[in-house]
Amino acid sequence: MEKKRLDDYEQGPVPSPRAVDRFGFVKPDNTSDGLIKSRSAYEYERYKEERRVRKWRKMIGVGGSDWKHYLRRKPHVVKRRIRKGIPDCLRGLVWQLISGSRDLLLMNPGVYEQLVIYETSASELDIIRDISRTFPSHVFFQQRHGPGQRSLYNVLKAYSVFDRNVGYVQGMGFLAGLLLLYMSEEDAFWLLVALLKGAVHAPMEGLYLAGLPLVQQYLFQFECLVREHLPKLGEHFSNEMINPSMYASQWFITVFSYSFPFHLALRIWDVFLYEGVKIVFKVGLALLKYCHDDLVKLPFEKLIHALKNFPGNAMNPDTLLPLAYSIKISKRLEELKQEYEKKTGKGARELSEKPMLPGESN
Amino acid sequence: MGRGAEEEYDYLFKVVLIGDSGVGKSNLLSRFTRNEFCLESKSTIGVEFATRTLEVEGRSVKAQIWDTAGQERYRAITSAYYRGALGALLVYDVTKPTTFENVTRWLKELRDHADANIVIMLIGNKTDLKHLRAVATEDAQGYAEKEGLSFIETSALEATNVEKAFQTILSEIYRIISKKSLSSTPHPSSATVKEGKTITVGESQSTTTTTSCCSSSS
Repeated sequence: MEKKRLDDYEQGPVPSPRAVDRFGFVKPDNTSDGLIKSRSAYEYERYKEERRVRKWRKMIGVGGSDWKHYLRRKPHVVKRRIRKGIPDCLRGLVWQLISGSRDLLLMNPGVYEQLVIYETSASELDIIRDISRTFPSHVFFQQRHGPGQRSLYNVLKAYSVFDRNVGYVQGMGFLAGLLLLYMSEEDAFWLLVALLKGAVHAPMEGLYLAGLPLVQQYLFQFECLVREHLPKLGEHFSNEMINPSMYASQWFITVFSYSFPFHLALRIWDVFLYEGVKIVFKVGLALLKYCHDDLVKLPFEKLIHALKNFPGNAMNPDTLLPLAYSIKISKRLEELKQEYEKKTGKGARELSEKPMLPGESN
Repeated sequence: MGRGAEEEYDYLFKVVLIGDSGVGKSNLLSRFTRNEFCLESKSTIGVEFATRTLEVEGRSVKAQIWDTAGQERYRAITSAYYRGALGALLVYDVTKPTTFENVTRWLKELRDHADANIVIMLIGNKTDLKHLRAVATEDAQGYAEKEGLSFIETSALEATNVEKAFQTILSEIYRIISKKSLSSTPHPSSATVKEGKTITVGESQSTTTTTSCCSSSS
C-alpha cells in the first residue's frame, strides 16, 4: 500500500523524545499543566469514565451490531450522550457508525485498495508537499515516511482520485489526519467520502471545489448570524472592517481541527458527525459570545489577533459546548442559505442536493 | 505581535505575501515580524495577518502584512485581500522551478485584482538549500527587470536578506506615497488614518497617523 515514494520533502522533523499529551501531541517546552488534580478527583473521574464506557458499549453492541436499533428507538438519548462526549476508546468506531461511513465501506469492498495502489493522481506532488505540514507536532505524523505520514498520503491520494473534481485541497489533510488518529486508512477514507459526499448530512465537498462555494456560503451565513445574535459585536466588526474570512474560514474548512486544542476539536467532531455542520456555526458564535465583552473593546489589529487566539478558558469544552448548544440557529441557517442562493444566482452547488454515493448510484 | 509602544507610527502600509504553496511565505513573515522560524509549520489555510513597525527613511512605518494560502483554489478567498494593498511580495522557491514559472500567473492575478500601481517585489526564498538550487539568480533578476519588479533572494531559515526585502519594498512604497502627498497636501502630518484602514496610493490625503490609545492586552 505504500509504494509511493515520499522523498520530495522539505525539512522532515525527526521524531523527538519530547513528552506528549494524552492525544500524542508534543507538549510545548514550557508546559505547565496548570491544574494538577487531587488523587481523589482523578479517581472519581476515572470511575465516571468507566461507567460511561459501559453504557456506551451496551448502546452500540459488539462491533456496532446494536447501534441502528438503538438509534431508531432512542435518538434523543443518543444525541444527549454524544453531546457529552464519546468515550475516547470508542470514538473511532462510533464516528464510523454515526457518519454512515461503515455502510459505505461494506458496500464498496476493495475500492480503497484499488484507488491507492493502481490509480495515479494529478495532486500527488501537492499532497506530498503538505504531508509534513499536517499536525507537525503530533508524534504519529512526525516521523518522515513513517506510518502516519504514509497513511495520510494514501488517504488523500485515494480521495483525490475518487473525486477528481475536488482532487486535493489544503485543509483536507487536517480532516484526514484527525480521523487517522482514530481509525485505519480505509475507514478514514470512507468517512471522508461520507462527509464530502453527504451520506447523512448535506455534502460538504463545496468547501473544496473550485471557487470554494460552500466556504463563501458559510461565511455569509455566519456573518449574518453574528449580526443577529451579537448585534453590538457585529457592529463593532463592521466598524473595524473585520469580516469572517479573516478568522473563520479555517473553522469551516477544517472543522476546528487546524488550530484548536485537540480535546476541544474532538468533542466538536463528536457532535459534528451526528448533528452536522450546524455545530460549527454554534461553536463559532459561542466563542464570540464568551469573549464578547473583550472583543467589542479591541481595535482592528488586536481584534484579529484575539479572534485567532482565544483564551484557554474560552476553549474549555465543558463551558463552551453547553453555551453552543443553547444557541438556536437551525431555522435561520436555512433561511440564510436561501437568501445566499438568491443573492448569488443559482445557489452554491446544485449537485449538493443529489449526493452520489458509490453503491447507491448503481 | 508586539506590544505597548508599537502603537505609534507615521504611516501604515498594507502589504500582501503571495506565491505558490510551500515557498516559505509564512516563515518569511514570522522571521520579519517576530524573528522566528518554525521548522514544524502548518500549511496556511485562508489568510494570516501580522504587523511590525519599523523605521523607513527616517519615518516610522507600520507594515500590515497579509499572508495568504498559496494553493490555487484558495484564490477565491485570498484575492479579496489584494485590494488596497500598496505592496506585494511575490515569493518563489529557488529550489523549485515550477514555483518560479508560476510567477507569471501570480502577476496576472495581481493585475486582475490589485490596484494598478501596487509595488511588487519578487523574492527567491530558501537560498540556504544551496545544493538544491534550481533557479539561477540571473534568470530571476532578468525576469524581474523585464517586468519592472524589484528582486531579492532570501533565506527565512538563516535570516538572510529578510529584513532587507521588507525594508526595500516599504521604502519604495514610502517614496511613492510621499511624492503623492507632497504634491497634493501641504501638511501631510495633519491627516490621520484610523488604525485598520489602509492607505491607497491614489488617495490624496491620509498618510500620517498617531494612535496612542488602547494599551496592549496581550
